[in-house]
Amino acid sequence: MTETTQPNHAMKHALATILTLTAATILFTACTSDSGANEIAVERAQSTAEAAIIAHNDAISERDAAIQRADQAEKSANRLAVIKERGDVVCSTGNDTPGFHSLDASGQSVGFDVDLCRAVAAAVLGDADAVEFRFTDLVERGPALQSGEIDLMNLTTTWTSTRDVAWGNFAPVMFYDGQGFMATKASGVTSALQLGGAAVCVTAGTTTELNLADYFRQNNLGYSPTVFEQSDVAFDSYTAGQCDAFTTDRSALASLLTTLPNPDEHLILPEIVYEEPLTPVIPHGDEAWFDVVKIVMAGIIYAEAYGIDSTNVDVMAAGDNVKAKRLLGSEGDFGQEALGLEKTFMQDVIKQVGNYGEIYERNLGTDGIGLPRKGRNDLWINGGQIYAAPLR
Amino acid sequence: MQSILYPGGIPLWRNVVFIQWVVQIISAIVVIAIVSGFIFNVANEIQDREIPFGFSFLDEAAQIPIGESVIDYDPSESYLYGFTVAALNTVKASVLGVVLATMLGIIIGVSRLSSNWLLSRLALVYIDTFRNIPLLIQLLFWFLIILELPNVREGYVFFDAFYLNNSGFYLPWATPLGGFWPWAILTAVGILAAIVAYNVLNRREIETGKSSYPIIAGFIIIFVVTIIGLIIFTPLELVVPERQEGPFGRLQGGARWSGSFFALLIGLVVYTSAFIAEIVRAGIQAVNRGQTEAARSLGLNTNNSLRFVIFPQALRVIIPPLISQYLNLTKNSSLAAAIGYPDLVSVSTTMTQIAPAISLIGMVMVTYLAMSLFYSLVGNIYNRITRYAGVG
Repeated sequence: MTETTQPNHAMKHALATILTLTAATILFTACTSDSGANEIAVERAQSTAEAAIIAHNDAISERDAAIQRADQAEKSANRLAVIKERGDVVCSTGNDTPGFHSLDASGQSVGFDVDLCRAVAAAVLGDADAVEFRFTDLVERGPALQSGEIDLMNLTTTWTSTRDVAWGNFAPVMFYDGQGFMATKASGVTSALQLGGAAVCVTAGTTTELNLADYFRQNNLGYSPTVFEQSDVAFDSYTAGQCDAFTTDRSALASLLTTLPNPDEHLILPEIVYEEPLTPVIPHGDEAWFDVVKIVMAGIIYAEAYGIDSTNVDVMAAGDNVKAKRLLGSEGDFGQEALGLEKTFMQDVIKQVGNYGEIYERNLGTDGIGLPRKGRNDLWINGGQIYAAPLR
Repeated sequence: MQSILYPGGIPLWRNVVFIQWVVQIISAIVVIAIVSGFIFNVANEIQDREIPFGFSFLDEAAQIPIGESVIDYDPSESYLYGFTVAALNTVKASVLGVVLATMLGIIIGVSRLSSNWLLSRLALVYIDTFRNIPLLIQLLFWFLIILELPNVREGYVFFDAFYLNNSGFYLPWATPLGGFWPWAILTAVGILAAIVAYNVLNRREIETGKSSYPIIAGFIIIFVVTIIGLIIFTPLELVVPERQEGPFGRLQGGARWSGSFFALLIGLVVYTSAFIAEIVRAGIQAVNRGQTEAARSLGLNTNNSLRFVIFPQALRVIIPPLISQYLNLTKNSSLAAAIGYPDLVSVSTTMTQIAPAISLIGMVMVTYLAMSLFYSLVGNIYNRITRYAGVG
């Protein structure tokens, strides 16, 4: 045993010697002036060193002050200025739900959520491509917002009271969703109330996970849940038959159905288990930036209501519709400059991204995953619930 | 002490004791500064960003789904209870994993040293393959293999009592009746008696050289006592899994090792056993070859020379790194969230939707630390028993 312990001792010893030598060298060099031979040279060297140290300290304190100012700017309610200086909007989104957020063949982010990010970038910077996308896991949404490292989140995020308190500020609802279930046709189930005894797959960190527990408890149904960190593994587990049902927002179910080789064998059950209003989210602590996002969202909604789309912006700006001209900034004012934006920012948004209807159809509607728009997600003038603060 | 270099005594900056103290104090100050920096930063940010913090949530109803549990669970139970359920799931995976990985690791480690060319090469391939592929990939691999099994309605059935399908392995399981505790006490006494008998017979075998079969005797004592207890007290009732009525045909009763748990267990055991095999090999090779030769020349056969001469000495080398593999296995089980096993990390992530994340992460850290320290404690006690007396 002594053989094996020796190297250890030797190593400790070597380490101690090295440390001691280093410390000794430092002390020794500091004390050589005792010898008295080179006193003048040493004094000169010392004064040069002192000067260098003072200069260095000045530089450090200047840099610290700069950092502090930047921090202040970041914290003290001026995110808009920070974004303009940085030149892009940091937008948290995902890449795994076709229709809402996914990657196209060339690797570009596309989808409803992505377009809302682009609309904000077009409004603030005049360029819809000035977005830095951050792909965030569903379970990381809260921390991402709380840390304030992102400017905006569009990640199929359901607005709930707890999240409103803890996560950030929730903008107007841009999509009314509801939680639903998918099951195989082979099981013969036609209603969620027949799911007693089923195994249900669900993704972690979502409201659906909590609503699932509520729903089965409320209806006195036995079930066995399996919770996965990633939605694709959860869905694979359902398609392999490990689970009898899969639950998430009904729009996401429709979107996932399009990815299956045999969509006819699956069924989205009619029950809407829980309300899931999806909205953009902004970190707490910056009211002005929150207002900007809300008003951009209102802008694309009203643009559709006034009949402005990406093809007729210039015509409408010069036309005789008073409301449309105010929206596009060619006449009158709805507070653009007070917000810190260009007067004509909505022209950029509509030209580059489009109005609400265009964004919907491109991603979720007929050109996207084929979710019919009638119902809640129609404009209020057509009997739906898509509505925002009037632009005046 | 007079020195030739320093006639006036060793100056302070050459004094080893002094220098060591200075180095110690400086490092202590640096460590304290860094740690308190972290703490103050967190405290400030919690206040600035109004991130919720505290432990009052622990009494409230958790309302979250947990798919499988060692003790009964219902979403109306408190957070604390839910957290305990999750911790027990982690303990279950960890303990079973440690036992199986040790057994498999020893077998493969010994095979690696076998003079049989094929066996030792197979062991080498096994070790190099599983040690060098990231565990998360292995877990997903095993999980996808299990998903490929037929579903619960079409899976394999053995003796009308054992069911194997992609939802897991269902087996008959005993539930305790009134006579459980007297039986458990009797069995414990039986195990103690077996240990005593093993020691006595083992000593006799070493002293007299006559075969006394200590291992077999021990097992016979445990077996006989357990059976007698079963007959007298009827402590347990065997419950066989049965198919439920309804469209899903899930199984109820008995024990279920879910597909996720299976994948996790296989992944952890296979991965960790590759490391343990190398540790075992290193331990055996660390024993001087002369020991084997001496044992053989005393007339001990291969088995006995391994059991009485090689292994006791190899254990001294094996135990310390083995403990650290146990700790790794326990911590690695936190990857379970990816494949849907409700372990500590998975469940506490779900909880952070409502409950304060910082508090929960703190609790998770403390729980893992406690488990690791427990393993260390047991291992170190065992290490103290097996090492040579008088060597530090």
